[in-house]
Amino acid sequence: MLQAQYVDGRSTRVRTVSLSVSGTDLVITADDLQRAEPLAGVVFDEQLGNAPRRVRLADGAFCEVRDLDGLRALMASARLRDGWVDRAQRHLPWVLMSVVGCVALVAAGYRWGLPWGARMLAQRLPPAISAMLSRQTLKALDGGMLLPSQLDGARQASLRSQFQALRLPDGEPIRWTLLFRRSPALGANAFTLPDGTIVLLDDLVAQLDNDQQVMAVLAHELGHAQGRHGMQLLLRSSAVGAFLAFYLGDFSQLLAAAPAALAQARYSQSLEWQADEYGSAVMRANGMSPALLADALRLLSKSHHDAAGVSYLTSHPPTAERMRRLEELAQLRPVQPSH
Amino acid sequence: MDQTTANAPQPTAAPARQPQPILFTGRGSEYFGIWIVNLLLTIVTLGIYSSWAKVRRLQYFYRHTELAGSTFDFHGRPLRMFYGRLIALGMLLIYSYSVRLHSLVTLLVLALLALVMPWLLRNSLRFRLYNTSWRGTRFHFRGTVAGAYRVFLLNGFLTMITLYIMAPFMHQRLKSYQHDNSWFGRTRCSFHAGAGRFYLVYLLVLAAIIGFFVVLSMAGVFNAFASINAAQHGGGRVDPSAIFRTMLITYGVAILFGVSIGPAFHALINNLVWNNTRIGEHRLECRMSPVKLAWITLTNLLLLVPTIGLFTPWAAVRLAKYQLESVRLLPASDLQEFVDAEPESPGAVGEEAATAFDFDISL
Ligand SMILES: [Zn+2]
Repeated sequence: MLQAQYVDGRSTRVRTVSLSVSGTDLVITADDLQRAEPLAGVVFDEQLGNAPRRVRLADGAFCEVRDLDGLRALMASARLRDGWVDRAQRHLPWVLMSVVGCVALVAAGYRWGLPWGARMLAQRLPPAISAMLSRQTLKALDGGMLLPSQLDGARQASLRSQFQALRLPDGEPIRWTLLFRRSPALGANAFTLPDGTIVLLDDLVAQLDNDQQVMAVLAHELGHAQGRHGMQLLLRSSAVGAFLAFYLGDFSQLLAAAPAALAQARYSQSLEWQADEYGSAVMRANGMSPALLADALRLLSKSHHDAAGVSYLTSHPPTAERMRRLEELAQLRPVQPSH
Repeated sequence: MDQTTANAPQPTAAPARQPQPILFTGRGSEYFGIWIVNLLLTIVTLGIYSSWAKVRRLQYFYRHTELAGSTFDFHGRPLRMFYGRLIALGMLLIYSYSVRLHSLVTLLVLALLALVMPWLLRNSLRFRLYNTSWRGTRFHFRGTVAGAYRVFLLNGFLTMITLYIMAPFMHQRLKSYQHDNSWFGRTRCSFHAGAGRFYLVYLLVLAAIIGFFVVLSMAGVFNAFASINAAQHGGGRVDPSAIFRTMLITYGVAILFGVSIGPAFHALINNLVWNNTRIGEHRLECRMSPVKLAWITLTNLLLLVPTIGLFTPWAAVRLAKYQLESVRLLPASDLQEFVDAEPESPGAVGEEAATAFDFDISL
C-alpha cells in the first residue's frame, strides 16, 4: 500500500489515500472513498528532483505521492516505465555525457557549423539585402569613423579607372564600386562592405610606393567581395550575438553593434587566405605579380610603428606564413603581360 | 482515518491560522541533471526542444515550492508554448529588420507591434496564471483587453513623454492591473499599494545612485590630491602603477555597484508589491533584504563566468530559494475554503512573445 494525498480537482481539500494496482486498474482507497481507474487513462508525471510526484486521473483529480521509491515499485508492478528523458535526467552517466555533449556541440558549432552556415546563407541571400545592409553600415560610419577623402579629384579618378580596368580571372569586368574615404581612427586601411563595395582610405594610398601596390591591395579586397566575406562575417557575428543575447537573456544589445564591428572586422585566417588566392589570380590575370601584395604589406608594417590607431595590419597581419604563400604564388607561373 | 501514522507532512490537518511560510526544496545538483539533459536536447534539435525544456524548468521550480504542506504545479503544454515561441520569433525578426530599415515601414511596423503587444502581454499573464495551480486549484487572470491597452500603451506613452517622471506611477498601475485581476480559484486577489509608495522606492534607489557617485567622485578628487602630493614628494614623478591601481579599484567598485543596484531595487519593489497583495482576505508578507539579494546575484555572476555557465542550475536554485522563502502567507481563515471555478483556456502565444521581447512583468 502506497500512501498519497488525494485532491478531487474541484476543491482544495486534501485526503490521505492509499494506492495499489489491481489487474489493469489503479485503486484509490480511503475511509470515504473507493475508486478504480484503468491504468491506461492515468498519467504518471515525471519525477523532477525529489518533488512529490503526481498521478493524474482523467477527470482532473490527482494523487500527490511523496514516497518516490514506493511509486516506482508500484509502477514496476504494473509494468510501467518512466520516459527516457525522465530517466536520463537522474542517471549520472547520462548527465555527464550531456555535459560533454553540450560543450563539444557548442565548440563544434562555433568552429565549423557557423562558418558553413554563414557561407551557405551569404550565397543565397538576395543582393537587395546585402545592398541595404551596406548602405546602412556606410551611413552609420560616415560622419563618425569615416570622413570625406582628401585625395584630389584627379588622383581619385586615376585610381578608380585603374581599378575599373582590372579584369577578374574569368575575364569578367569589375561589378563592384570603389569608394574613397579618410579615417583617423582606422588609419591605413581598406575594407569591403557586405555587398562588395570596397572602401579605400587615404592613409593606405599615402603609405604605399606606387599605384601597382594599391591595386594589389584592391585585388585582395576583390577576393573578399567575390566570396561575399563581408556578408558571411555579418551573419556570423549576428548569430553569435543572437546566441549570447539568448543565453544572457538580453535582446537589447543585439541591434546596435553590427556597423562598427564590421569596419574593424578580423576576417578569419581561412577567409584571408581565400582572398589572397583570389587576389593573386586577379593580379596575374592583369599582368601583375602577387609579390606586389607582399611588398605592400611589408611597407605598411614598416610605417606601422609610428602610425596611430588601427591599421590595415590589425585586420591583415603580415604573418610569415602568409608572406611565404604570396611569394610562392608569385613564382607559381611567370607573369603574362596582358596589355 | 489515522493521520498520525502518515510519514508525509500533514497538509492543513488543523485549521491553519498561523503564518504559512513558503518553502523551496529544490537542490542545484538535482536540477543540474534536468537542465543539462534538456540543454543537450535543445542544441541537438536546433532550439525546438527548448519549449519542452522550459516546461520542465517551470515544473521543477513550481513543484519544489511548498505552501502549507502542498506544492504548486505548472500545467502548460510544451507544444502550445512552442507555437507561441515561433510567433514571438517571427515578431522579433520583423522588429529587428524594420528597425534597420529607417523608413516609413519602420514606423508602420512599430505601430502595429505596439497595437498587438498589450493584447499579447495580457494573454501571456492569462496563460501563465491559468497554468499555475496550488493543491489542484488553478489561478486565473481576468484583466480586460481595454485595461491592457490603458496600462501598457497609454501609461507607457505618458511615461515616455514625461521623461520617465511617471515611471513609478506606471509601475503601480501595472502591478494593480496584474494583481487586482488575479484569481485563485474563485477567490479574487487585490492590490493595495498606492503610487506614492512606488515613488518612495524609486526615489530611495535614485538617492542611492546619486549618493554613490558623489562619494566616488569625492574619493577621486581626494585621491588626485594625494597623488599630486606624492608626486611632489617623489620629485615630480607620478607612479604609473598607483594610477592603474586607483583606476582598477574605481572601476571595480562602480561595476559592483552597477550589478548590485538592480537586485536591491527588485527586493524593495517585491516587498512593496507582495506586502500589499491579498488573496481574498488572506494577506501576504514579503521580507526580502536588498543587500542579501544583491549579494546572491553578485556571487552567482562571479561563479557563472569561470564555470562557463555550468553553475547556472545552482545559481537559479539559490536565487529562487531566497526569493520564495522570504514570502509568507498570513491566513485569515481556514485554507480549505478555496474552491475551484472552471476557467477558460487561453493560448500560449502571449507568454512566449512577451518573454522573447523581454518584458519582465512577473516576480
Ligand atoms: Zn583581407
